[in-house]
Order: sequence, then structure tokens, then C-alpha cells
Amino acid sequence: MMNAVWQKIKADTTGRPAMSFLIVITIMAASALLTLAIATLTNSAAPYDTSFEALHGAHIWVYFDRDRIRTRDVERIEALPQIVASTGIQYSVRTRAAIGDTRVWVSVRVLPTEMPLTNALLIQEGRFLAANRAEILGSNDLHDLCNLSTGEVVGITTPAGERVDLPVIGLAYNPTWDTYRSSQSPYLYVTEETMRMIFPDDDTWEWSLGLRLADPNSVDDVLNTIEGLVRAHTVVSHTDWRDVREAAIFGAQLNFVFLGAFSAFAIAAAVLVIASSIRSTVLAQFRQIGILKAIGFSHRQIVFVYTGQYLLLTAVGCPLGIAAGIALAPLPMRSVAASLSTTFEPAVRPWLIGSVLIIISLVVLLATLRSARQGASVNIIKAIAIGAEAPRRRASWAARWSSALGLPMVLNLGINDVSARPARSLMTGLNLMLGVIGIVFGLALNTTLDAYEKDPSLLGIVYDAVVTRKGYSDSRTRRTIAGAPDVLAYYAEDIIDVQNAAGHTFQIRAIEGALDEFPFRITAGRLFNPDSQEALAGQGLLDWLGMEVGDWISLTLEDDDSLPGTWQIVGTYPEPVNAGQMLMVNLSSVEHIHWEPEPRTYYLKLAPDASSNALKAHLEPREDADLNLTMVGQSLPDTVIYLQLAIFALSAILVGIALINVFNTSLLIVREKLRLIGVLKTVGMTPRQVVAMVCTSTGVLGILATVVGIPLGLIFTQTVLSAVSRGYGFGQVQISIRPTLLLLLLPLMGGISVAGSLIPGLRAARTSIVRVLRYE
Amino acid sequence: MNPLVEINALRKVYRTGNVDFEALRGISLNVSAGDFIAIMGHSGSGKSTMLHIVGGLDTATSGTVTVGSHALHDLDETALARFRRHHVGFIFQFFNLVDNLTVQSNVELPALLAHRQDRRSVRRRAADLLDRLGIADQAPKHPWELSGGQQQRVAIARALINNPTVLLADEPTGNLDSGSSQEVLTILREFNQQGQTILMVTHDAISAAGAQQILLLHDGNIVDSMIGGDASQVAQRLTRLA
Repeated sequence: MMNAVWQKIKADTTGRPAMSFLIVITIMAASALLTLAIATLTNSAAPYDTSFEALHGAHIWVYFDRDRIRTRDVERIEALPQIVASTGIQYSVRTRAAIGDTRVWVSVRVLPTEMPLTNALLIQEGRFLAANRAEILGSNDLHDLCNLSTGEVVGITTPAGERVDLPVIGLAYNPTWDTYRSSQSPYLYVTEETMRMIFPDDDTWEWSLGLRLADPNSVDDVLNTIEGLVRAHTVVSHTDWRDVREAAIFGAQLNFVFLGAFSAFAIAAAVLVIASSIRSTVLAQFRQIGILKAIGFSHRQIVFVYTGQYLLLTAVGCPLGIAAGIALAPLPMRSVAASLSTTFEPAVRPWLIGSVLIIISLVVLLATLRSARQGASVNIIKAIAIGAEAPRRRASWAARWSSALGLPMVLNLGINDVSARPARSLMTGLNLMLGVIGIVFGLALNTTLDAYEKDPSLLGIVYDAVVTRKGYSDSRTRRTIAGAPDVLAYYAEDIIDVQNAAGHTFQIRAIEGALDEFPFRITAGRLFNPDSQEALAGQGLLDWLGMEVGDWISLTLEDDDSLPGTWQIVGTYPEPVNAGQMLMVNLSSVEHIHWEPEPRTYYLKLAPDASSNALKAHLEPREDADLNLTMVGQSLPDTVIYLQLAIFALSAILVGIALINVFNTSLLIVREKLRLIGVLKTVGMTPRQVVAMVCTSTGVLGILATVVGIPLGLIFTQTVLSAVSRGYGFGQVQISIRPTLLLLLLPLMGGISVAGSLIPGLRAARTSIVRVLRYE
Repeated sequence: MNPLVEINALRKVYRTGNVDFEALRGISLNVSAGDFIAIMGHSGSGKSTMLHIVGGLDTATSGTVTVGSHALHDLDETALARFRRHHVGFIFQFFNLVDNLTVQSNVELPALLAHRQDRRSVRRRAADLLDRLGIADQAPKHPWELSGGQQQRVAIARALINNPTVLLADEPTGNLDSGSSQEVLTILREFNQQGQTILMVTHDAISAAGAQQILLLHDGNIVDSMIGGDASQVAQRLTRLA
């Protein structure tokens, strides 16, 4: 029995190369999409975890008071049983560095001339430090912050106020540099020799220690043990690798939500295209099935023939698709990796390959089984005589309406075909709709990001420049700013660590100045009155504490038992940092809890044609100037650029899948209608009219899919962006999209649908009437 | 008077793989306006092939076919479609109606494709034909709701909607019972008496006997010709062909 079945399988797959090729392409496209989707969904944290382990990241970094720590303390710490590896004492100095036109606070850190074994760095550009050379290895965060790249020169300010220029020989990723710790400056790495050249007095060098633990989750216990080993207040602060990981993954949250949603689309599209293509292809072979039954094939044998056929084609198409998916995976993964400040190394994972193989095979099997069983049950005579035809139905209401409206008969016949097989039309329409939703999402994201880029105040960035001070007094700084050219207004800010009655700790911005001159975006309520006990809250803070506008909040200094201060929350604003978990109050109102608030940061509003050079010359007249000026940059970070690219690529793939589905559907519509096409040509339908009839069916589906897909796409976009915005503490987000682009989608998708059915239509037009009618 | 249908040295060769099969071997025939000719022969004699070429459904390998003033050998696919639309009415053995159109719409179909008249005129003409064929009450139904004889009458109405130059019938009674067959033949004779030129392929002697003239084909050649009327004589002649 199996010999006959196998003979038939071989004959069908090799005897109909075009159809076999089509099915292989469909399965390949679906497999690629599924691979991409699963790789995306499962990969949000993987780049960080992979990098951390590969680099033997330190689970805890301990920062010491230089005056209290001793070498023997470090030895005792490293000898603790919980410690499996140590970086050794790492020396660092915090200073300012000139990078391009910008001066930033950095931490210059000593590295050996060979890559350390514990908490190694991932060189992303250039090379590692070499001995006997005065050079710098930069952290890749400085690339994002200041566009630092290999080959540039960085000017380090020495304690004497002089500038030492050093070439940047590479950029590196450090798995334990915490993006969200405002006290942690970006790193510049030098050799000990170079460090001594810049900072000769090693008593001014800070000490820190990175430790790998036997139990990565025992950070708190180990810290307690360390603090017990050394004198009080020797440990100034620490970095817990879990906080860094969480911050890194949070940064990837944006990508995860977007790409996760698209992955779900991709999986749905893959399943739809396989199911509809295979089902329809089997149905189109009804005549064959009738003949097989007539010569003695049993029900089971027929089912084996068709499931075997398509599983064989799956065995060819699926691996090819998986390979394509793995090759394409870096595109969305680069976006995730960029947000984690690491690189993505696409890995060929056995479980991923196995999952895709199993899922695709299962979908193929289910689609084929259902149709093969249907075919095996068909009446033999009818199957041989007529083959698979659309079930007999009355003309759909749409066709009756179009006829009543006097539309040409050709269009009526095409519109009628949409309802001939409703399930197939629905699946084809759904596939097209997924493509439309993907395009709408991509366009809306693009336009929305443009709007935010053009108006940073939407993100809570209401200023044009930021000035920080080191040694100058507050009053001197304000005088200097007030006398600076092109400064229209400024306000001063002190960041204070506080906690509420429940012990939740966060930070408040205590500000003072010409607040009316700044376009604060108040998303609910109003700005606080001057000299009042009123506050503006970031949406993230309200969500976290379960509070609303109008509520009162009592706060004390963090780790301080002083009397609390109380504010009434009168409004919310988009807070760009700390997931929106910040409070903004009058500087004067914090005196209840903070004896001497000292603003160290000043936000400037500049004239539209302000000269940054002139401003810089005024505020930073010398290399060792006390004040530091940073102009607000407006370019999109790499992570968003990659995300946009990934989303457009995925949209293109979804549209491509829809096109394949349209092509398959049209081909099968033509097959089912062969006899009818023969009759219509007999009564005088020209070849052009035949093409028009075939293309009308799919064109109608394309237009319907677009009409339904556009509003669904907008709803989807609003929902996803709002969810992400809330997660980032911005509250509600307003999506933007150009109406003309949406209108253009109608002819575009209609055109794509027609294009997908053009070849089948042309084939139908060339059908020999006699050959088709001969089977009567 | 010039013949309405003029066939000269018509040859048709089918190539299947490396094998050539000559279905028609240089047939020549003239059909005058108002003729009712039955074409008979055994399977593979070329009778349907000849009908298909005259109707513009297929093309000749060599030779010429002229219907009215239309030299079919000079027409491309689009021109042939227009020729079929305006000048040919075709009736098939298995009716070949469009299932998801009503009877009324099926009959109107060629006229709507022709765009020659406004819809109202087309509707009236279709209703008139259905009435003449005794199935006016079936107009709103779909083909699958009708009997075989009724479906064939719808097919006849569709074939006549555009007042074709020639009506071609390929085994019109092949799928009907004897009663329905008689009805269909009677209808064809009535229209012929009103001037419609008809070429009918049939293997049934009784059906052929209703025609004015019967041509016998064998192996792609016209081998015999007789006057219609006596079915038994027709059957005898056909048996002798074997």
C-alpha cells in the first residue's frame, strides 16, 4: 500500500513543479516569519544575560571611602567564601572631559594592559589598551551621549586645571555600568601609567572592587558581611548587578512591546498563509482525488498521499525559511541590543529551530488533513467530471447591489467570487489586513516620533541647555548665567532624595526661577504656584504610589528622621527620567525638610538664533572653567532608529506574506473557475475582461482589508504607544499620522492585491476553451 | 448567393507529446443562411473539433473559415471573443450555465458583455426569449433549481440573446431524457423555421433526423451527406461507417 502512496507523492511533487515551488515558497516565507517572531519574543533579556556571563560580570561593585579603606581590608573581602572572583582594586578619578564641543563629567578608571578576567569589557569598536601608550578606551555610552568615536581626541582636565589630550583607541561595553544611576559618570579607561601621568597623586584615586559571587542573588548578604568586616562608613555605595539588569531590560521594554506585538502578527500571518494556501491547493486537486478513488485508493491512502506530499515540501521549505529568519534576525535584535548598549550575536539555537519545525509541520499537517479528508469524502463521479468548484450559492448581496448599480458584468462576477468561498476570502482578507495594520503602525510611529523630536517639551524637555557648577556658589552661578548672551530665562534645580511614610524612596526636583518662560507640559491639573506647598508629579510616580491630582503627600529626607514636609499634588507632567517617578516642587518649599537646598543644575531657555559658541565662551571661558554647559541634543537615539527600521522591515514582510496569499488565492480561484471561464469566453468575454474579473475579486479584498485595517491599526498603535508611554511614566501619548498617507493606503493595498492576482488572471485569459470544456 | 459559413480545406492537428493526431483532414463545406445541419460521426471523427473552429473556440492548423464577413483565421484572441459575442450562439451538452447568477442574468450575460443595448432593452429581450421557451416563471431562480430540460432551454435563450449569425449546438440532447430531448429539438426547429442558421453535432440519429441535412464525418473527413427526416436511415448509415 505505502509503495503506491509513495509513488503518487513523488509523482505529484515532481510532476507539478510550479505548484510545488509555490508551496515551498509559502512555507519558507512562513517559517522565516515565525523564526523572526520567536527569536524576537524570546530575546529581550538575552543580550544582557549573554553579555554578562560572557564577560564574567561582577555581581556587586563596592565603592569605598578612600580615607578609610586599606589594602588588607580588600584582601579579607576577597577571601570571603561567597566570593568566587574579584577584579582587584580598581582605581578611578572623577573629572571633566572635553569631548568635541561638550564637557562632561567622567570617571577615569585604570585597567591592566590585558583584558581582566572578571568584569571584562566587550570591545565594540577599535581595540583594547596597549602598554606604554597614553591613550583612552571609551565606554560606548559616550557614543550615545556625545557621539564619541574611535580616533577622536578627549581632553582630560588635570587637578592643576590643565588639559591633557588623549586619543580614543576604542569603545567598549561594561556590563555593570548602570544607565539609570545619575551619580555614575560614564567611564574612560586608561592604563595605570597614563593615570599617573594625568593624576600623579594616587592618594586622590578612588577605590572600588568588583566581585563575582557564588550565589548571584546573595548581593545583600555579601554587602552586609563586607560592611561588617571594615570600619563604619568605609563602604560609600555599591552597584547591584540585578539593578543594572533591570534597568537594561527596562530600556529594552519599548522594543519588546513593539516587536512582541509584531511577532504576534507574524505568527498569525504565517499560520494563515499556510492554512489557506494548502487547503485551497488540496481542494483544487479534487479531480485527481476522484480518479484515485476510482482506481482503488482508500480514504486513508488519499489522506496519506496529500499529507505526505505537503510534509515533504515542508521538509524542503522550512529549513530554508529558518535560515532566512536567522539571517534577518539581527535587524530587530540590533534594536534591542542597542537599547541595552550591547551587541547582538545571532546564535543558531537548536530549540528555536526545533520549535519552528514542529509548529510549521503541525500547521501544515492540520491544514492538509482537513482538506484531504474533505476531498477523500467527495463523490467520485462529480469529482472526476467537474473537479473542485465553488459551492453553489446565490449571488452575494454585494454582487446584487453592484448589479443594481449598473456596474459592468465583469465586476459583478468578480465581486461575487469573494463570497463564493467565504472562509478562504476571510483568510486572504485577514492576511492583507495584518499587512495594513503593520504599515499603519509603522507610519504612525514614524510620524509620532517626528513630532516628539521636533517638540521635546512633549517628553518633558522644556529647556535648550543645561549648566552645572562645581565650585562656584549658587549666587555666582546665577549671576554668570544672567549675564550670558542669548539666555532668555533660566531656573535652578536641586535634586533631593526623599521617602514617603510608606518608605518608598524617590527624588524630587526643587526648582526656582522664571518658570513661566518655560513651556512645561501640564498633562493634568496646573503648574504649582510660586512659593507654595504645591507640587507637580510625574505620571509614573502617581501610578507607583497610587495617587491622583489633588492628593497630599508627606515626605522626609531619605534615611532621615526629620520632620516631614507636605505638598499637594496639583498637576502632572511628562517626566523623562526614572520612569516618571519624580516630584517637582518650589525650591523654597523644601526648606521644611532640607536645611540648605543647593541648586547645582540650571536650565536655560535660549533665543531662537542663540549662538552656542558665544554662550560657551561666556560660561566656559577656560579649560578648567567651573561651569559646565550642555546643549540639548535632538537626534533620535540608535535604539529608536533600529526599532523603526525593524518595524518597517516587519511590515514589508507582512505585506509580502499577504501578497503570496493573494497570489495563491487567485491561482486557486482560477482553477476552480476554469470551466466557468471557458463558458464565459465562449459567450464573448475577452482576455482583458477575464483578467479584470479575476483581479476584481482580490482588489475588493484588498480594499476591504484596508478599510477595516486602518482604524484597527490606529487603535492598535494608540494602545501600544500608550502602554509603553505609561510604562515610561509619560502618561497618555498623542499619536500622529498624516491623513494623506492613510488615504494612499487604499489604492496601494488595492494595487498590491491586484498585482498578486495579475499572473493568475493572465493565465486564465490564455486558457484554451476547448481544453477546459473537454473534461465534460 | 454567398454562403453564410464557408469552410475551405480545414485541417486541425493536435500534438500530444511527440504524437500528432489529425482531427480534421482538409474539410470543405458551405452553409447557407437558414440551414439546419446535423453533423454526425463516431468518437474522434472530428465533428466537435469542426464545430469549435467554426465557433471561434479553437483555431485551425490550416485552411480557412469564414462566417458572414469574418475570416476567423485572421482574428486574434480579443477579436475572436468579440466575434463569439456578436455572431455565435453556443449550446453545450452540460448546459454550462453560471450557477450563482439567476436564470434571467444567465440569459442576459452575452448581451451585457456586448454593451450594445441599454439594460432595459436587454432585460426585455431576455424575458421575451424565456417566455417563448416556456420558462418565464423560472427567471428569478438559479440553474441548480431547474431540471435538465429547463436548464437547456435557458442555455438556448442565452445563445440567442444577441441574434447570432449561427447557432452551434454540441450534443444539446446528450444529457437529457427523451421527453426533454424532443422539446429541445422542437425548439431548435422552430427557430430554424424563423431563419436561424443551426449547426448541430450529435451522435443520436433521432436528433439528427430533425435537421434538414446530415453530414457524416469519419477520421476527420466528410464521408457522406443525406437529407434529414428518417431516423432509421440515419442510424443505418452511421452503422455502416463503423
